[in-house]
Amino acid sequence: MSVLVTGAGAMASIGSGVDEVFDALCEGRSGLAELRGFDRERYRARHAYEIDDRPEPGADEPYRATRWLLRVVEEAARQAGIDRDLRDVPVLVGTGLRELRSAELGWRDGADFSVDRLHFGTALRERFGTVQSYTFSNACSASLHALALGADMLHAGEADHVIVAGVDTLTESMHGLLDRVHMEPPRQVQPFDRDRKGVLMGEGAAAVVLRRESADETGTSLGRLRAVSVNCDAHHVTAPDAAGITEAVRSAHDQAGVKPVDIDLVMLHGTGTLLNDETEATAISAAFGSDADVPLMTALKSMTGHTSGGSGLLSLIVALRAMATGRVPATVGLREPVPEADRFRFVRDEALHAPGLTLAQVDAFGFGGVNTVAIVERTDA
Amino acid sequence: MSAPSVHVTGIGLALPGVTRAADLLRAAPGADAVSPAERIGRKGLRYKDRATQLALAAARDALREARLITEESETCALGASTAVVASSNLGNLDTVCRTAAEIAEQSVDGISPMGLPNASSNVVASSVAIRFALRGPNLMLCNGVTSGLDALRWGASLIASGRAARTVVIGVETRNEVTDALTGHAGPDVLDGAVAVVLERAVDARERGVVPLAELGAYTRGGSVAECVAALLPDDTGADVWFTPQGFDAELPVPATRGLARHDLSRNIGHASGALGVAQCAAAVGGFAGNDLGVALLTNGDDGSDAVAGLVLRAVRDAA
Repeated sequence: MSVLVTGAGAMASIGSGVDEVFDALCEGRSGLAELRGFDRERYRARHAYEIDDRPEPGADEPYRATRWLLRVVEEAARQAGIDRDLRDVPVLVGTGLRELRSAELGWRDGADFSVDRLHFGTALRERFGTVQSYTFSNACSASLHALALGADMLHAGEADHVIVAGVDTLTESMHGLLDRVHMEPPRQVQPFDRDRKGVLMGEGAAAVVLRRESADETGTSLGRLRAVSVNCDAHHVTAPDAAGITEAVRSAHDQAGVKPVDIDLVMLHGTGTLLNDETEATAISAAFGSDADVPLMTALKSMTGHTSGGSGLLSLIVALRAMATGRVPATVGLREPVPEADRFRFVRDEALHAPGLTLAQVDAFGFGGVNTVAIVERTDA
Repeated sequence: MSAPSVHVTGIGLALPGVTRAADLLRAAPGADAVSPAERIGRKGLRYKDRATQLALAAARDALREARLITEESETCALGASTAVVASSNLGNLDTVCRTAAEIAEQSVDGISPMGLPNASSNVVASSVAIRFALRGPNLMLCNGVTSGLDALRWGASLIASGRAARTVVIGVETRNEVTDALTGHAGPDVLDGAVAVVLERAVDARERGVVPLAELGAYTRGGSVAECVAALLPDDTGADVWFTPQGFDAELPVPATRGLARHDLSRNIGHASGALGVAQCAAAVGGFAGNDLGVALLTNGDDGSDAVAGLVLRAVRDAA
């Protein structure tokens, strides 16, 4: 039994809806702007990749993440043709920061906030009647963790469809603490560039509908999920470990029954932090060996910022679109790659016309050394 | 694919006034707070938030009881195939909210960079993995009032899917001025503690010669208490005790529960939010040990929450 992706929904600073987001990425448009909802004077890092939907400039409001989540779930369900009744469809949400922004606004500023909306189950029940919902707070790889568990539910025969989603909004605590640890404040995210200064956060949401593939398959799909590996470095609360990531990549290849040379495209995690990019490049090089120069590689955070828990699923949706359209977005702002990545075939400067891609790898790693790697395959070829 | 039998092979408590699972049903809120440093030493606790410290203390004892670590070494020899699933709703709210307030008062230069790991809600799960070298999947459930039972469900699912051979499941909540303000619950009736449970494939536990404490049965989520209970206890004879949702009306008639003893564990340990389900599991195991109980129904959430989760737990009588 294999697992098909039959619907997708996405939004980010650069657009709303999968088509708009993908077109923006292919055009090389960035969502970078000055901080929209926080008091800029309080920060050294005054830029981020936010969704511009606040009621008025400089003012923030609770539950923006919840709003985006519901929107992308609806988009994905509609495309999959299951939007008429979602009550019995499990929804697994991966998020780094839940509705913690709303908690900040509630505690500090007295905004209307209820703790039973820190997780997304309450809103999902209200909107879709969802009873089986799970909010996993698994840092920056949360949505691919949810993807692995959603696929497991299908394999175990627990459901015919599962919706997997990821969402994150900026919090002042996370933006501020990242700002605090940067040597100098980054002005943009430049994954794998030698002169990168660090990470800036982005806002976004993504959702997919997974369905069991039947023996007499007739329906259409966006792609096939071959495998998702999940492991933990057990090494450090914030710093990544190349050994753990290498193992996650190898495990994903093994589970999918593929070799590095089979992979046509790697959607890198690429956060633009000094340590993360070098570690990811080292781990990919170790896992791919002499084939490290085979796949095309790109990192979306150069245009979306670090969309945290939702970033892995956003990359996965873009990978499926890239294989279907033969257009691969570039790693914008990459001038000279770090030495660890000097053999990588980065898509540079502008989107690449690359027909015939059939197999993609999607990376997502998070604080605490929580690693996930997904392998997806084109189905329309 | 049929799911493998999953046993509970270790319990660890970091709860005020309770040291043994068998005493949980006689506990009362208000005992002296747990000191994690006294329990597991100061080393490694610096800059860890309180929820993480409590979780480490509970996990250490559960891993010891399951004979996965020893008194001499905290490094788990079977760590590569051991997963962690932690559940907490309120754990890092204090770090998050206080940091936001400090930035507003002073600017970002006034905050401590050591708060960074604690701003990410999965710090509890990853810290347990780091301390005991557990390299399997590492999940953090923040799923509202059902989160504790949901964590047990995913702990068992990781075993069923073959992603891990065993899972350390931890439920932890903590109490501070931020949680007081945001939950509306304050005082000794709010849990400041952690409970850990080791789940393991029954065949592996047997091979290791570890005595099983209980066997996991069915799990479900329903739209109401009645729906959840009916799915797990289709007839009137399914269980000996029902651990009800927190604050559940002890007299309210619920189909399929006639004559079933009811127990609201929050009366013993306080409002427990995402820790309740794991604590119920420990309390049921404590009851099994006294031979009083054979089958327990655990439930979290009520008709006002987004769902009601339920799990059946059975004593293992013939294992030795």
